[in-house]
Amino acid sequence: MEFEFLVDGIAKKVTVAEKNGRFMIKQGDREFEADARRVSDNELVLVVGGRSYDVLIARDKDRKILFMGGREYVFREPGEEAGRSWTDDHKGPGGGLKIKAPMPGKVIKVLVGEGETVRKNQTLIIVEAMKMENEIKSSIEGSVKKIHVSAGELVDPERLLLELEAKS
Amino acid sequence: MFKKILIANRGEIAVRIIRACREMGISPVAVYSEADRTGLHVALADEAVAIGPPPAAESYLDMDRIVRAVRETGAEAVHPGYGFLAENADFARRLEKEGIVFIGPRSDALELVGDKVRARQTMEKAGIPVIPGMKSIPSEAAEYAKAARSLGYPVIVKASAGGGGKGMRIVAAEKDLGPALEAGRREAKSAFGDESVYLEKYLEEPRHVEFQVLADNEGQTVHLFERECSIQRRHQKIVEETPSPALDDTLRVKMGETAKKAMRAAGYNNAGTVEFLLDKSRNYYFLEVNARLQVEHPVTELVTGVDLVRRQILAAAGEPLTLSQDSLLQRGHAIECRIYAEDPAANFLPSPGRILFLREPKGPGVRLDSGIYGGWDVPIYYDPILAKLVVWAEDRELACRRMEAALDGYAVLGIHTTIGFLKDVIRHPEFRAGRTNTAFIPKYFDEWAREENTEEALGLALAAAAIDETGLRARPKGGPRRKEETAGPWQTLGRWRMGGAD
Repeated sequence: MEFEFLVDGIAKKVTVAEKNGRFMIKQGDREFEADARRVSDNELVLVVGGRSYDVLIARDKDRKILFMGGREYVFREPGEEAGRSWTDDHKGPGGGLKIKAPMPGKVIKVLVGEGETVRKNQTLIIVEAMKMENEIKSSIEGSVKKIHVSAGELVDPERLLLELEAKS
Repeated sequence: MFKKILIANRGEIAVRIIRACREMGISPVAVYSEADRTGLHVALADEAVAIGPPPAAESYLDMDRIVRAVRETGAEAVHPGYGFLAENADFARRLEKEGIVFIGPRSDALELVGDKVRARQTMEKAGIPVIPGMKSIPSEAAEYAKAARSLGYPVIVKASAGGGGKGMRIVAAEKDLGPALEAGRREAKSAFGDESVYLEKYLEEPRHVEFQVLADNEGQTVHLFERECSIQRRHQKIVEETPSPALDDTLRVKMGETAKKAMRAAGYNNAGTVEFLLDKSRNYYFLEVNARLQVEHPVTELVTGVDLVRRQILAAAGEPLTLSQDSLLQRGHAIECRIYAEDPAANFLPSPGRILFLREPKGPGVRLDSGIYGGWDVPIYYDPILAKLVVWAEDRELACRRMEAALDGYAVLGIHTTIGFLKDVIRHPEFRAGRTNTAFIPKYFDEWAREENTEEALGLALAAAAIDETGLRARPKGGPRRKEETAGPWQTLGRWRMGGAD
């Protein structure tokens, strides 16, 4: 069986074949054998070359998060947009910039108006979550094309806050 | 002793207080906002009272609703935890008037130390060294600029009503003063309901060393040694330890006695903490009194063996202090790491959301004060603290190693947390050498990023993910049973039907 996972937006292929409870793994140019045991829905124990790995697995709709040796590995399904959802620099067509909420929270203050020119690093909106104010700044020099939220509003991550237009 | 205590808080500290109540045979009552219906503290308490909508101002900070919950349940005392109403003198006074015991200092002492400006005046009068700063809250905006000029930049904006880093802003030059005051006021207002801010001289690279004090209602006072809390981000502590690597016995005794003197000067009763800044020449300055149970109280509990929450409850019930200064000793070393729902790789941006899976560390000398569980949605409305991982060991180096191992065994999957960051802090050679100060995080961890996973480890993780997808079942041959296959009471209940024969 062949599987494909997105790791930081890059597709990685893995082939596994089971033989008497042991798995033959092919990943990149590596081949190895693993003795795998499922402990629960969220836990596998792998023994590879005499080394034991306790692997915890969590899933949500588009992610599989593995925890192994104190470290996390986040895999996405291929076909999904690369996992860069929590950034503000989604460049739109025509040099525009869509500013999205970096985290769930509440809009405390909108500091700019539509049509206003903005400098690079100018604070545009303040979003508060967990009692901390987060200033959302402009990463470009330009003007405010459209504002999509107002003070007091609750926003989810990825929610479009405002659109900027780069200085031509 | 009380029969029932209402805990006016949430999260890990509410859980901690519930535990103390249970051990003392006291029935714990929880309160919860609409956002906390699924909170762990609600599940663990004997009774739980809904007190309003998610914003703290309409629930956990609403005195009327809290008092009503006390009346409804017949609780005799209120434990405020930390944050929210814990240092609100109006709340303490209100409870006093209503004949409800506030588990904390008397309202007048609370008022005095809670007003950071008045507290500084009192300490100065008692001969305790204080950091140069404004002596009162000015009525004119221009006075801030004047005070800042005479103190000399950098200065720090501080909320008069509270601590915990809320409302604080360092100002390097006059042009930044206006926006810093505005942001400080706004944050102070939302955190404490009081927007007064003042300015202090900003000491560069000091250590933050605080002393735990316990006092009974008769004024008997002891200190339970220090906590070193220099590792801070955004003026908020994230790693605390005791003993402090910066103190020797002479300085420890001197500062401990100063702390007791400060509390006596304030007429303080119950548990409280005197915070000091220690500069490079080992001069110490009074910073403020935290008139409550501190987040970092567990490290003191582990090295002194004293249960501080129990002592708070005993003192509030009017019991005399049974500890003498000579009987108190520090044994071994304890470190606490605060686990926050924040992304340390993105400037500690809050990271609320669903915890998809949770595994908590265990082992000798490992204590976890936690307010979360797997499957829980961390709400956006409150402080991002999830849990406190605390270790005890024979000495500092062993405690560091124990902490590293415990952090490695701590999986909070689905949201960002400070766990990976804390590991790098504990491993840092300067931390290991005990050379910490409040500039430690900005200095060494300014552009922190998660270390890349190695190709080999990534290959293994991919293999595990693929094997997971094959639908490998548990219990291939006589292994432990898979959860779904274990018959629960609901599946078997059919055979034990209640009621008459059909």
